[in-house]
Amino acid sequence: MRVVWHLMGSMLGDWPSCDPHNFSKLRRADPSIPSRMMPATYHRTHSRTLPPPDQVITTEAKNILLRHIYRSAEEENDLRPKRAATKHLIPEHGCKQPRATSY
Amino acid sequence: MFRRNNIASRIFQRQIYTPAPGTSVYCARRFYENLVPSCTIYDVECPDQSFRKFTDDGQYLISFSRNQQDLVVYRPTWLSFSCKEEDCDAHDLPPKAKRFESFFTHLYSVSLASCNGNELICKDFFLYVESNQYGIIATSTPSIHDAAANGAAIQGVPYVEKLTFHLIRLEDGVILDVKVFHNDFVNLTHNMGVFLYDDLLAIASLRNQTIHILQIRDSGNLVDVRAIGAFCREDDELFLNSNAQCIAFPDKSKLHQLPGNNVQNGTHLSQPNQEDSLLSGIKQRLLSFIFQGISNEEKDPALRAQWLKKKFYFRFQDYVDLIIWKVQFLDRQHLLIKFGSVDGGVSRNADQHTAFLAVYNMETTEIVAFYQNSAEELYLLFERFCDHFHTASKNSVSMNFVSSHSNNIHALEQIRSVKSKASSQFMKKMLGSLPYSCQSLSPSPYFDQSLFRFDEKLISASDRPRQSTDHPIKFILRRQPCSLKFKIKLGPEAGNADGRTKKIASFLFHPFLPLALSIQQTLFLQQPSVVNIHFRG
Repeated sequence: MRVVWHLMGSMLGDWPSCDPHNFSKLRRADPSIPSRMMPATYHRTHSRTLPPPDQVITTEAKNILLRHIYRSAEEENDLRPKRAATKHLIPEHGCKQPRATSY
Repeated sequence: MFRRNNIASRIFQRQIYTPAPGTSVYCARRFYENLVPSCTIYDVECPDQSFRKFTDDGQYLISFSRNQQDLVVYRPTWLSFSCKEEDCDAHDLPPKAKRFESFFTHLYSVSLASCNGNELICKDFFLYVESNQYGIIATSTPSIHDAAANGAAIQGVPYVEKLTFHLIRLEDGVILDVKVFHNDFVNLTHNMGVFLYDDLLAIASLRNQTIHILQIRDSGNLVDVRAIGAFCREDDELFLNSNAQCIAFPDKSKLHQLPGNNVQNGTHLSQPNQEDSLLSGIKQRLLSFIFQGISNEEKDPALRAQWLKKKFYFRFQDYVDLIIWKVQFLDRQHLLIKFGSVDGGVSRNADQHTAFLAVYNMETTEIVAFYQNSAEELYLLFERFCDHFHTASKNSVSMNFVSSHSNNIHALEQIRSVKSKASSQFMKKMLGSLPYSCQSLSPSPYFDQSLFRFDEKLISASDRPRQSTDHPIKFILRRQPCSLKFKIKLGPEAGNADGRTKKIASFLFHPFLPLALSIQQTLFLQQPSVVNIHFRG
């Protein structure tokens, strides 16, 4: 971030002060030169924290109670040890088939 | 900020100061400290009816005829009379003002239960759809106990031959739609078995163990959305039937060997044989979730089987025998379902039975969480987020400002002080109120615990009747000077001569007017109830 000073007409005018060097940044030594000081402004020097251009801020669909319930459930899932996946995740037919058994 | 008690000062202050963001309703409510129902008309002459409640928008007073066949609707108004004397405050109300009709205008009466049949209106049940001003009233035939279970019905649960829900437009009393259940049982006492959330209605059938989800359309139609019980998704029944067909008929040449009542001509089977059927629907979801949860508790795979044997299989039949007791919406997708034993489902003292609470996602058909009814984790959620259990419709402004221990420091201090004395029993008792019954709390500002302090054993926002008391019920200002603002007395100063008869009292508070009805009934005697009107004089 960089700071930019601007000059503007002194809002203080010619008010007396105990030390003439006070407000020197706001008012130049030569009163004939108009000073225009604006408050410091800050400009970003990078774009890393810019929001994505298509960002839309919406309300969370779940209320806070359900968020807590889901979070507790996820924490319990994270704590349990992960089991190794079976080799054949997808059955041969690509979908579930009823098993034909004889009674 | 210095707050004056004088109403004129408050009005001037309201002209100058803007309430802090999000507090405009609470700031406006402070005027109720000045406008209280301090006058009472005792034993007002009124029709002999069962007054049920004021609708949450204050537009109607719902009442049922004594014979439980007619719905009677009144419009709350306000008495108006003028006094031409100089000192009007000293004068009492004229006799003509002390009438029921001065406060309530009869709009219409609608006959709902046929006098030929044996149907009666369930006078403990009423739901209000505020957005459209629709009312839901139920009529049913008498319940039959000790009925044998057949089909999917549960043994031990009574049933009624016919139960009808009527959707009525309260503006004119027109019946828009009905939903009929045959040979079923829904607990309608104080709206326990039915939950309304926005335009969705959940009806818990205890007998057939099904949660019926209906939608109330703006046109006034009741539309079936889904039925959760034996099936979870809309096409589960189709899949299971086609599956059963494949299992039953692997070889069509063997058709003649199958039992006759399961086969007609080799075509569609209605339902698998119950004795052979696997657990399906929500019961399967529930047991799977319990199994996974218990399995995950034991991290050592070598010990897991023993752990499951001890914790799951040993209690397997108890889990299978769990039935749905009660249900409520947590939002449009999630249900909070209470499971328990058959005995507890029909018992009046359900708190003594062990019960479980499950959170179910209707869209994914998954159980998200499962708690015992004394679980501390659930109690902490209940203590912090009680308002999210009291799911109020977005359309109902007044219901979003009912005092609870989650939004009111006084209510929270009260329960914490009780909890510190008897923790585990207290947690179980508090969780016993879950799932909540719909529209069971009054939105009246006089029950706002930031404004008034009152004895909750004698009166509260809940519409359940309580044991009557001869002593006046005091409403004391919460702020300084903590003065008595008004009293609700159920009888004149002399009290009741006969103190032996047991009486119960119920209170109906208007949602925003300083107007309330107190109704005193004598148990076990066929005496008409005594109705008092409390209003701001």
